Amino acid sequence: MFTYLMRRLLGVVPILLIVSIFVFLFVHLIPGDPARLVAGPDASQQDVELVREQLGLDKPLAVQYIAFVGKLLQGDLGTSMKTNRPVFDEIAARFMPTFWLTVWSMAWAIIFGLLIGVISATKRNKWQDYAGMFGAVSGISLPSFWLGLMLIQLFSVKLGLFPTGGNDTWKGYVLPSLTLGAGVAAVIARFARSSLMDILKEDYIRTGRAKGLKENIVVWKHALKNAMIPVITMTGLQFGFLLGGSIVVETVFSWPGLGRLLIDSVSFRDYPVIQAELLLFALEFILINLIVDILYAVMNPQIRYE
Amino acid sequence: MDNKLLEIENLKTYFFTDSGRVPAVNGVDLFIREGETLGIVGESGCGKSVTSLSVMRLLAHTPGRVVDGSIRFAGMDLLSLPESKMREIRGNEIAMIFQEPMTSLNPVYKIGDQIGEAVRLHLKYDKKKARERVIQMLKLVGIPRAEEIVDEYPHQLSGGMRQRIMIAMAMSCEPKLLIADEPTTALDVTIQAQILDLMRKLKEERGTAIMLITHDLGVVAEMCDRVVVMYAGKVVEEADVFDIFENPKHPYTQGLLHSIPKLRRKTERLQSIPGNVPTPGNMPSGCKFAPRCSHAMDVCREQEPDLLQIASGHRCRCFLYQNDLAKEA
Repeated sequence: MFTYLMRRLLGVVPILLIVSIFVFLFVHLIPGDPARLVAGPDASQQDVELVREQLGLDKPLAVQYIAFVGKLLQGDLGTSMKTNRPVFDEIAARFMPTFWLTVWSMAWAIIFGLLIGVISATKRNKWQDYAGMFGAVSGISLPSFWLGLMLIQLFSVKLGLFPTGGNDTWKGYVLPSLTLGAGVAAVIARFARSSLMDILKEDYIRTGRAKGLKENIVVWKHALKNAMIPVITMTGLQFGFLLGGSIVVETVFSWPGLGRLLIDSVSFRDYPVIQAELLLFALEFILINLIVDILYAVMNPQIRYE
Repeated sequence: MDNKLLEIENLKTYFFTDSGRVPAVNGVDLFIREGETLGIVGESGCGKSVTSLSVMRLLAHTPGRVVDGSIRFAGMDLLSLPESKMREIRGNEIAMIFQEPMTSLNPVYKIGDQIGEAVRLHLKYDKKKARERVIQMLKLVGIPRAEEIVDEYPHQLSGGMRQRIMIAMAMSCEPKLLIADEPTTALDVTIQAQILDLMRKLKEERGTAIMLITHDLGVVAEMCDRVVVMYAGKVVEEADVFDIFENPKHPYTQGLLHSIPKLRRKTERLQSIPGNVPTPGNMPSGCKFAPRCSHAMDVCREQEPDLLQIASGHRCRCFLYQNDLAKEA
């Protein structure tokens, strides 16, 4: 297991290198001239050229890329063109709000998603199932900006229970995490339902019932653990997406997170920040996949890594 | 002699599907005495498994429902017990082993936990005592390295070993009745013999009654005291095991026995019963076996015969003998 982990972690390096090439190329494909944006709309063409030279943007792409990777390998993510602060500091400041928002959202999503999924699967084709799946379809279909605005309207404006935005207190987390969690909960509920319904047909479920176990124990202990593999896969993916920061929800709730940092840096063509953020997302996905693979082995003893 | 442990009367279990009502069990009468092994024999789909699931009341999660009849076990009317009482009987007084040992154990829990679960539930043992009991049971069913196997997962064991585990689980609470639904069908022949030996040994040591569901007449000859032959959801013949083999009365039973290949007689083809088991949609009126029966008379196609006693302990559902009985009377 330990050697497996080491191998997987070492594998991260080449993957990130490949990702860095694509990220670099795509970022430079974005139309628009960062030198012009940095120099300002009133600057003369000469000044713009000067800035371009300072930023190193006049060199061929390959040279720029090698310079970028060279610094990256030394742990230097570069400097933001917009703020002139180190990119690392920019991202570090935005990471934690997004991280905690993700954790809150996933906590809601897992609790409600599993609950709805299990109830729907065990009460198949009864009103509980229809209600649960109606909720799930709604959760997937409702656009998050609309859901977010509705929650603000009801709980912030009308009832005054939670702030309309910001992350100053724990209260600030409630509405954005509910907004983000709704969609994820819906997906988890649907996966849990279909997976559990398959498992409940298995012979060992009948064995459990024949043993005299209560139905609740049969479902929550014997069936659910077996049904978790697809749910974990899906939950891991969703976790990765949320960690990237939701541009829409962070905008609606004026959340100082990675999503808004990304949209700001894209509109300013802040190449170093965009590149660093995209690389961070790739790294997050790789690590989450690793954790998901480890969870497989925890859930199912037939899965072992050498 | 006549201490009946389980008595089923006129059991009717129907499946309610989109395409209509399917009578899987359609008026079954049988009983099992204490300590006795009763074989239930018949082709696939004759209702033998559904009968056993009806006894265990494990039909709740299927489209099946018991619509009529009674099931009495040790003085209790199983069909009218509340679910909580029924849970105390399942795995405790009536235990069950299934056809598919490969899929009947939960792949994500250790062997010891799965057997121990029943012991802790019914015998109220604590964790440590339950573990000791599990190891004792594993040794009893002939599992080598019992102390290690208890902490292993089902996928690490072969089919024969898993069926031993199932038997250990079923016997762990000392049930009065063990229902074995085709317990050896999925196993290699040599393993089959070992499992049958084990079941017979346990039965003799503990006096457990066994309801053995099978389509293998060899298994019946090996194991059973009495035999019930089922066809199309009904009992067609019931007799002790010697009578069934020496003096089968019902043409269906005779057909089953003829279809066993015999080594000494080198015939070109295996004997078989012509035709197929009728599907629920087109059940013949009258005797359900009549369309396949070489002795069928006009009356067979019009009326259904009753299950009548033709000798001591020997009952048969066939007009051939009912006329004899009528003449004698």
